[in-house]
Parts: sequence; structure tokens; C-alpha cells
Amino acid sequence: MTGVQDVPYLVVTIGCVAAVSFLSRASFAFLPESVKLPPGVQRSLRHAPVCALAAIVAPAVFTEHGASALSVHNYRIWAVLAAGAVFAKTRNMLAMMVVGMAVFTALRLA
Amino acid sequence: MAPATLALAAWGIVTGVAMVKGGLPVGVALVFSLVAYAGTAQLATLPLILVHAPWPLVMVTATFISLRFVIFSAGIRSAFVRLPLRQRLASAYFQGDLPFVLFSKRFGTVEHDGNETHWGFYYGAALTCFVVWHVSAVAGILLGSLAPTSWGLDFAAALAITAVLIPMVTNVPAVVGLIVTSVLAVLTIRVPFRLGLLASIVCGLGAALAIETVLDRRTSPVVHTVETS
Repeated sequence: MTGVQDVPYLVVTIGCVAAVSFLSRASFAFLPESVKLPPGVQRSLRHAPVCALAAIVAPAVFTEHGASALSVHNYRIWAVLAAGAVFAKTRNMLAMMVVGMAVFTALRLA
Repeated sequence: MAPATLALAAWGIVTGVAMVKGGLPVGVALVFSLVAYAGTAQLATLPLILVHAPWPLVMVTATFISLRFVIFSAGIRSAFVRLPLRQRLASAYFQGDLPFVLFSKRFGTVEHDGNETHWGFYYGAALTCFVVWHVSAVAGILLGSLAPTSWGLDFAAALAITAVLIPMVTNVPAVVGLIVTSVLAVLTIRVPFRLGLLASIVCGLGAALAIETVLDRRTSPVVHTVETS
């Protein structure tokens, strides 16, 4: 069974994401003014999203059917490299998506 | 503000398309998007939900991604601190990456109590983003349901997350965290329930903080200032 067919599971997981999303935004709204965020903690918190996103995107690009797929035939690697280069240069997300999907599709259909 | 909202609309459409093409039924995707108002956390937890990963893992992953909001929350607090709790919570609900960046650019760090100018600007930006986001995400979900699965649009989710990730990687510790987490997440892909994901995040974060500590010690006479963007 995939998670999509399990309605109670969907309620719990979507509820969790919504709750975490709100509580993180409201975190300091609950705290008294005297509580400050120390600069060290602040800098540590900045690295957490990088790691969490990397943990999601790396398997989506570098694995296939539950095994690592580090080969020149893995089109997603080329597509992400091309898209990343476009984004780093232009900071334009739409251009990045178009180039990434174009490279992915062209290699896939070639 | 206009180019920023255009980018936000593009990101909303991509998120909507990616959620449906990733495998969520249209109804679930609509509920998820409208209830969570979480963008990146929605995209990141999607693959976990699809494989029926344990819900605590989904929650922890969403927490890591949302930790940046804690910084935002601390950053804008002084402008709202004198308001009643209900109004502080309302301002928090509409918080997001774009409102925070716009507010910080306009006012810097508000050191004292906020006034009508702050609140007006904040809600102007935040409510605009709120509306633009939901309209574009719903449009993306509906558009996505029309596109054939053979187009491979589920890959758009990985590209969209990459677009969020790249601007965050601005220093050596972030690069180390990125590499360590990525390598471990790929190596542990067969671990049941995607628990390797959590281990990868914890190790990557640990590596980033360790490198940061070492680098700080080497440059110890210099007092670091924390950029706010």
C-alpha cells in the first residue's frame, strides 16, 4: 500500500507538516521578549534546511529503483547539472526548470 | 515586489505540478497545499508520503526544513512583540521566505516596537504572497493533472528543490553539509522506512557545524557578524 491510499496516514502526515510549518513560524511569537536567539544557534539553524533538502534531492537524482545510479546514462544527473548551472548564472527559476526539463526530456527520448 | 511575486507564482505552479505528477491525487494535493501552506516542506515530504514512510520521519524532515522560519520569527519579532498574542500568531501564520526577505530589506532589523508602517508593509507583502502562492499552486495542481505522466514532470520536483537549495549554499560549512548529507542519503537508500534519510541529515548537519567550529577557531580574533537575509 502506498501512503496515498491510506487516508488516516494522509491526515496525520499532512497535519504534521501543517503544524510544524505554523509552529516554526510562530516560535518566537510565543516567547517573551527577553529570550533571544544566540548568533551561534542562529547560524546552526541555517544549515539544517540545506541538509534536509540535500537528503531529499540527492536520492531523487542519484538513485534509481532503490540503488545508486552514478552513470553517464543517468539523464537526471546531466539535467540537474545543466539546470544548476543556469540557475547559478541567471537566478531565474523558470529558465532553470525549462532547461532542466528540456535536457532531461531530450536525453530520455534520444 | 513585482519580479518577486512572479518568481513566487512560477514556484507555486511548479510545486503544484510536481505534487500531482509525483503521485498525489488532485484532491489530496489541493488539501495538502491549502492546509500546509509550506511550499518546500510539501515537496520534500512528498516522496516520503508516497512510500508510506513512518509519520514521525515525515514530521522530523518537515521540521528540519522549517527551522529557517525560527530565524525569521526571531528576526521580525520586535516589530510585533507589543501586540496581543492573537495578532502575533496571525502575523506568524502569514510568514514566509519572501515576506521576510522583503521586510528585512525594507527595515533591516527592527530594534524597537513596530508601528503602522511596519505592520502595513508586512501584511501587504505577506498577504500578496499568500494569495499569489495559493492561486498559482492550485493552478499548478490542475495543470499537472492534465499533463500526461509520460512527460516525466515528476522530475520537476527535484529541480524545484535544487532551485531552493542553491542560494542556501553560501559558505564552506554549507557545502560540507550538502556533500556529506547527499552521499549518505544515496548510500543508505535501501535502509527500511527511509530512516537513512534522517541519519544523513543528522550527520550532514554535524559535519557542517564541526567545520564551522574549526573555521571559527582559526579566525578567532575576527568577530563574526551574522548577515540577515
